[in-house]
Amino acid sequence: MKTGQMIGLALSGLGKNKMRSFLMMLGIIIGIATLTVIISLARGAQMKVMKGVQNFGANAVMISAGGGKMFGPPDGSTTTLTLDDARAIQESVKGIKHIAPFTVNLAQTVVFGNKNTETVIFGATPEFADAWQWFVEGGDFIGDEDTSGLSKNCVLGQTVVRELFGGQDPIGETVRINNTNFKVIGVLTKRGASPHGMDMDNRVVVPLTTAMRKLFNTTAIGMIRLYVEEEGRLDEVSANVAAVIRERHHITPPQEDDFRVTNTAAMAKTVQGVSKTLTTFLLLLAAISLLVGGISIANIMFISVNERKKEIGIRRAFGARAVDIRGQFLGEAVIVTLAGGLGGTLLGLAISLSIAHWKGIPAMLSWQPFALAVAFSALVGILAGLQPARRAAALDPVTAIRG
Amino acid sequence: MIALREISKTYHKEGGVEVRVLRGVNLDIEKGEFVSIMAPSGMGKSTMMNIIGCLDRPTGGKYLLDGVEVAGMNDDDLSRTRNKKIGFVFQSFNLLPMTSALENVELPLIYSPDDMDIAAKARAALEAVGLGDRVNHLPSELSGGQQQRVAIARALVNDPALILADEPTGNLDTASSDEVMAIFKRLHAEGRTVILVTHEPEVAEQASRIIRMKDGQVVSDERRVNG
Repeated sequence: MKTGQMIGLALSGLGKNKMRSFLMMLGIIIGIATLTVIISLARGAQMKVMKGVQNFGANAVMISAGGGKMFGPPDGSTTTLTLDDARAIQESVKGIKHIAPFTVNLAQTVVFGNKNTETVIFGATPEFADAWQWFVEGGDFIGDEDTSGLSKNCVLGQTVVRELFGGQDPIGETVRINNTNFKVIGVLTKRGASPHGMDMDNRVVVPLTTAMRKLFNTTAIGMIRLYVEEEGRLDEVSANVAAVIRERHHITPPQEDDFRVTNTAAMAKTVQGVSKTLTTFLLLLAAISLLVGGISIANIMFISVNERKKEIGIRRAFGARAVDIRGQFLGEAVIVTLAGGLGGTLLGLAISLSIAHWKGIPAMLSWQPFALAVAFSALVGILAGLQPARRAAALDPVTAIRG
Repeated sequence: MIALREISKTYHKEGGVEVRVLRGVNLDIEKGEFVSIMAPSGMGKSTMMNIIGCLDRPTGGKYLLDGVEVAGMNDDDLSRTRNKKIGFVFQSFNLLPMTSALENVELPLIYSPDDMDIAAKARAALEAVGLGDRVNHLPSELSGGQQQRVAIARALVNDPALILADEPTGNLDTASSDEVMAIFKRLHAEGRTVILVTHEPEVAEQASRIIRMKDGQVVSDERRVNG
């Protein structure tokens, strides 16, 4: 019997009991659809975070005030990090190309004319631009004379420009922060989202000294950003920085740090680690759902073989060999699972796109779910169909034809 | 064409009881004969048919079909032999339900290793039994007589040496029975070998040779001129 005939036979067998065939498929459809959705969304999420890590900048070490495992910038009330810490790091840690201590104050209102927007105020030194590798698109960045003179000049991120000025050129205009007028001297280039999903373009940068003494009246800084000479030295520099601050803050091992040091390489590793765990989990999930689907298919196949004993006997009487009968039933199982797999992938892609559309989560569509679906569902079909097909083939023609 | 020598068949029932259904059957049937095998129910009729039809193997004895020993064949060879040499017609038609007349008749051809135009051959076989206008009908849309004619077309389609019919009129009314018997006679007239297994004397008598069996043995072998 030729393969084409075998497929035709299996298809017509399935067509005669459409409801049953559909029910056989359902488990696989659900399993593969779930798998596809999770793969698409997980890959989308991973891509978003990796993009964030990229946006965050290369060769970067970030020191934040405040301990714990919290991610992201500290709130303004943490006062454990000082300019003296920054100076000590600069003097005793090797491999640093740029160092930029800065303050961060979240949820500040900036006003222009009758418009206002909530933003993040950064108090920065001129090194900030080099340390972040983030420069002005127009105008000037904070200069030495701004920090030494406590000037009331500021540089705006793109989001703030858009919110307050629309299409108008903001340079030379005056904005109000905390009841203080600032003159806009520059606009930063667009940077995108941070690894934590924050809009990095929603910021106003003012001179560090102005921020500390005039705006927020503090002697502490929020963070220090380092630009390390070589990417390979990120971990070494991070470790040395931590050691220096611990010594200055008199922290010995059992005590918890009152600061956090992180770097881009570590961030990328974290993301990859999370995605590896997620992938393992997904494979497990897929395996379980396909196992359940496979069991239900095997079950229905056994019932089907039992119900179709007479058909098997008739086919045998007219010359079907045992191997033809086995092929027919195995073919039915594999076609059901393959169709279920492809259907599940399409359904999964459609669901992924809908979720991406309605929830604003990025979904990444790729060929992998298709390949996985084909491979897994064919495998499940063969495993689930083999035993029922063998049983069908082993039936004695004389007994089978009696039904 | 068929030579049975000391054929015996013994079944083992549950509990270890042996049932000797056939006890040394000797029988020769020549090519082109129209033979009835008669036996009361439960006297080895079906077993005879299964063995002659290569569905079952005898426990003892020799069976030569077209000069080939069948008793020693493996399962695949038996399948091939059934496919090429035997055309079965059953009392209960045994058509595949929800399958068109044409597809039912195609059945033996799809298991044939030879290349051919399957649909055309099946259509021709249906036309030969007068059902050329019913090719796409399902068995449930056909009368009993029509269903049995589809079954005969299926038995004929692969041009077998032997047509083997088990109570082919058992489920039919008189008119349909006559139609079906007329087809068998015509097949015989065309030179085919036909074996009818039946317990109805009026059916058996239409053949040219009647073999009567009892208790697993041949008790009489009668040749008739009128058949």
